[in-house]
Amino acid sequence: MAKSPEELAKERLARIEAAINLQEPDKVPLWGVGGDIVAAYAGITQYEFCYDYDKAVKAIEKFMRDFPFDTSMAGLMGLEGRIFCVAFSEFPDISPALSLITGPMHDVLGDKYYRYPGRELDENATPQFLGGTFMEPDEYDELIEDPVGFVAGTILPRACTNLDTPRKAMATWVRLGMECSKFFSAAGEIGRVSAELGYPPFPMGWGYSPLDIIGDFLRGVGTVVLDIYRYPDKVKKAAEALTEPITNYALYHKYMGARYAMIPLHLNEYLSPKLYNEFYWPYLKTVILKLYEEGIKPLVFFEGHHDAHLDTILELPEGWGIAYFEKTDVVKAKKVLQGHSCVMGGIPMGLLVGGTPMKIEEYIKNLLEEVKPGGGFILAPGVGTAPSETPVENMHALIEAVEKYGYY
Amino acid sequence: MQEELFNKIVNMDEEGSIKLAKEYLDRGGKPQELLEVCRRAMDAIGEKFEKGEYFLSELLLGGEIFKSIMEFVLPLLEESETTKLGTIVLGTVKDDIHSIGKDIFKAFAQAAGFEVIDLGVDVPEEKFVEAVREHKPDIVGMSCLITAGISSMKRTREALRASGLEDIKIIIGGGRVDESVKQFVGADAWSDDAARGVRICKELLGVEG
Repeated sequence: MAKSPEELAKERLARIEAAINLQEPDKVPLWGVGGDIVAAYAGITQYEFCYDYDKAVKAIEKFMRDFPFDTSMAGLMGLEGRIFCVAFSEFPDISPALSLITGPMHDVLGDKYYRYPGRELDENATPQFLGGTFMEPDEYDELIEDPVGFVAGTILPRACTNLDTPRKAMATWVRLGMECSKFFSAAGEIGRVSAELGYPPFPMGWGYSPLDIIGDFLRGVGTVVLDIYRYPDKVKKAAEALTEPITNYALYHKYMGARYAMIPLHLNEYLSPKLYNEFYWPYLKTVILKLYEEGIKPLVFFEGHHDAHLDTILELPEGWGIAYFEKTDVVKAKKVLQGHSCVMGGIPMGLLVGGTPMKIEEYIKNLLEEVKPGGGFILAPGVGTAPSETPVENMHALIEAVEKYGYY
Repeated sequence: MQEELFNKIVNMDEEGSIKLAKEYLDRGGKPQELLEVCRRAMDAIGEKFEKGEYFLSELLLGGEIFKSIMEFVLPLLEESETTKLGTIVLGTVKDDIHSIGKDIFKAFAQAAGFEVIDLGVDVPEEKFVEAVREHKPDIVGMSCLITAGISSMKRTREALRASGLEDIKIIIGGGRVDESVKQFVGADAWSDDAARGVRICKELLGVEG
């Protein structure tokens, strides 16, 4: 007999929580796939998916129904909005709401950070974060002195055409609030549909790494890396100054019931261990520890190759959260972190796009043999965004392979 | 002085190396020799990266130092004085607007002696085809960061084939490419780092790496 949605959700949640708590679940949890494929599978454009919430919710429902992963990563489209979270970090009710900037919000802001389909990009292109340079090197002192004031008062008017005068800004903030409310109402609808389909509630907040704020939103990714060599003391002090507002922002998610917090990293793979340990890790570590102390387990996405920095994770308390790897070899990572951190990742997106069902089955079988023992592992795509052309049979093959080889 | 300059570049002394390169020319040093030192230094940086001693940050700064020195060295050189390994037509594929990976690769490819025709980002298939017809390169380099770029690479490969440009060597690069993506796209080689990418380009042309 088929399981009721409640039973299914309970089973899935227990599976994921066991892995996070470094135990062996009944079966290896399989984290969901999302990305362009969700819209493509429903036959709508990326533009429609980004701008028409009714169509997006229907597309997400169809995807969740047909691809039963243990969590659903098919969600409404939004791009990193953390600079706005920093600007509003004195306001617990507003700051977390701006974690993601959707297409309609991008229109309201008239910002230079994002590129959306049907706007700057083709209707079938993926929305993309571009970032840029919005701060000069001689402004580091202002940033260090008053990070929130500098971001709110100087950076945002530069980065958003609709915030460039106080009068325009008044209208823009009101309009943004109205867009947020539409977004949260659609997100609520997805929550309802998820429960109906047996997906467990997984209340997830957000966090960010202080140096990534400077790279992504203030100086540009390439430029901040050069700044580290050119103005090391300033960069360090700026990352330190941003740590408090970011920690506050991350902790506000507690009031919204978050039990986990996603922290996606960007500059980690750019830096040598020496630079990572000096400019990046101490501030990120502070954010992680504060969340952990407040009962929120961070899910840190270590983008790219994190091999050189693996040992630093051991500085965190045992069971601190989830270490999600993109290109780091998860077999090696699991050996290093066994009994200390829940390890997540393992499925290269290239395999899902370019492989065959047979290759996928073989790959999953071999991988699980290595990483299953002892539990504490969540199987996930290295990067969760599957392109439009991802073969549907490959996603089914992935789910079936875990069903076949995933049980303990 | 050449050895000192080489060391300064490899050790990431941006200010010091640019200053020394200028002094070298002021004292009557040959621009051709200066170019050679910079090339050797970039090669050494790439090698250190491949060994895991250097990271992306060093590739970025290395590329920056090279560009800064070339700004005042290249105008002093006649075209005949710069040896050319081959030509690469390079671009980030359609619907992807990311450029960092492409730009790092470009700096190292130029340093290695390749002429690079940079088509920019979000480059449609037909623009690659046009550029290949015009420049007759030895290699086409396609870059992408987002996963959607994987499909664009495949379409570009097909467009080149459909236009009868079958024989051209294709290398793909970027954060999300791997062996499976290479097979899916039908490329000749792949790399997810610039240093290895340049080495592979040399190998594709049968030049000693």
